[in-house]
Amino acid sequence: MKIDNNKLLLGLLCTALTVLTACASTSATAQSVDDNISDPFEGYNRAVFAFNDAIDQNILLPITKGYRAVVPEPARTGVHNVLTNLKSPITIGNQLLQGDLEGAGDATVRMVVNTLIGVGGIFDVAAMEGIKNEPEDFGQTLAVWGVGHGPYFVPPILPPASLRDHVGNLADMYADPVRLWLMNTDREGWYYTRTGVGIIDTRDQLMDALADLKRSSIDYYATIRSAYYQKRAAMVRDENADDTGGADIPNYAAGEQ
Amino acid sequence: MMTNRSILNVLLSGGAVLALMACTVSAHAAEPATSSASIVKVAIGDDETGMEEVSGVRKAPTAVAKAAMAFVDGVGKRGIGILSADASSEAQRKQSFKSLLNDSFDLTTIGRFALGRYWRVATPQQRGEYQRLFEKMIIDVYSDRFSSYSGQTLKTDSAKMVSETDALVTTFIVPKDGGEKVQVDWRVRNAGGRYKVVDVVVEGVSMSVTQRSDFASVIQRGGGDISVLIDHLKQPRKG
Repeated sequence: MKIDNNKLLLGLLCTALTVLTACASTSATAQSVDDNISDPFEGYNRAVFAFNDAIDQNILLPITKGYRAVVPEPARTGVHNVLTNLKSPITIGNQLLQGDLEGAGDATVRMVVNTLIGVGGIFDVAAMEGIKNEPEDFGQTLAVWGVGHGPYFVPPILPPASLRDHVGNLADMYADPVRLWLMNTDREGWYYTRTGVGIIDTRDQLMDALADLKRSSIDYYATIRSAYYQKRAAMVRDENADDTGGADIPNYAAGEQ
Repeated sequence: MMTNRSILNVLLSGGAVLALMACTVSAHAAEPATSSASIVKVAIGDDETGMEEVSGVRKAPTAVAKAAMAFVDGVGKRGIGILSADASSEAQRKQSFKSLLNDSFDLTTIGRFALGRYWRVATPQQRGEYQRLFEKMIIDVYSDRFSSYSGQTLKTDSAKMVSETDALVTTFIVPKDGGEKVQVDWRVRNAGGRYKVVDVVVEGVSMSVTQRSDFASVIQRGGGDISVLIDHLKQPRKG
């Protein structure tokens, strides 16, 4: 069973990488703002997005609200910290792949300090000491390597992403040492528990932001798509803090267009 | 197929990586923990008229950046003041917010940016109607946004110049009961000594860009007709 899983994932990954390299070269610079979004499957994407949104509002959101109601804030922060700490190997690996030794060092200090002093990652001691969490994933690594986003794609049940970032997610899942260890020591139950709690935690973290975007937008699909690309660009950019966040707003009063 | 032996290999090579890390780390730990030293940080109390070099690209007049920072700090304090005045009714609050936004946000610029390339093809009448509806919408949206306030504080962190006239002021919203702080960057424009916010960037997501994307999609799907957007803006906001 576990072998099948691994093979399936590897197969998916190879296929995806092939597709990605095939279409990546066309959009290597599509990194900045909004006009560069490529959404050739918009019709399909919108249909699946509406389906996913219905599931989110009727199943995931009520579960997450229940989680909020039952588990007090300090405990939820602890859960979030543990999950973040478990992602450390992925962040460290990707920092190294991006050639960012300082980032990899920071992430390693965070993992060691939070695991040992922060009681298995429950307390983010490192952040209190000024070493902020900067999550890195293989999608960002591909971006640093010059791979463009490729098309935007909304899969059923899963969150939307560009093709590049979907591939990145698969690669991270496949190479995740924590997953490999759990799977190979007959602790699959732990793996699925971690995944499940991770979904609820992510939804919890996004609760206010998503509610706000949904309420304040006319076209929720286009709004989420734009926010997604901006957020990813910002995450890739953190390498280079000199880059400006947001767009250049022209000075219309001074005659700029 | 992954055997216990190959797992061992993974762990061992992981150990080697960790040892490598330890060297990087010990070198790194010797410096103070300022990881973003490349940004010109402007703290209140810095040298008054100093010019600083930003990566050799642009001169940053620290006086303007500093004034922009103080301005954002003031807007934040005024906003929190409105929210913590418990005596005020919902309508009073909204009124106070309306004047705060009118005083400190350049709604004309934000509105024009949000319409993007459709501004140029809009008739003068459409422009006027759009601007009026847009300002009303922004005030509704932002007073909603702020009404979910639960004791957070706004901490101004640093500022840098991003154009001749614009400073980007970095702040953090710090929750009262722990939890992660949220980074909010304010793009503040200096128009002859008067400061106005032209964009708010939350965790890397620009409100102006998101708004423009939303509007562009509505107009495109309405066959390129701006009046479709105007009709949407006329409808009451979603609850």
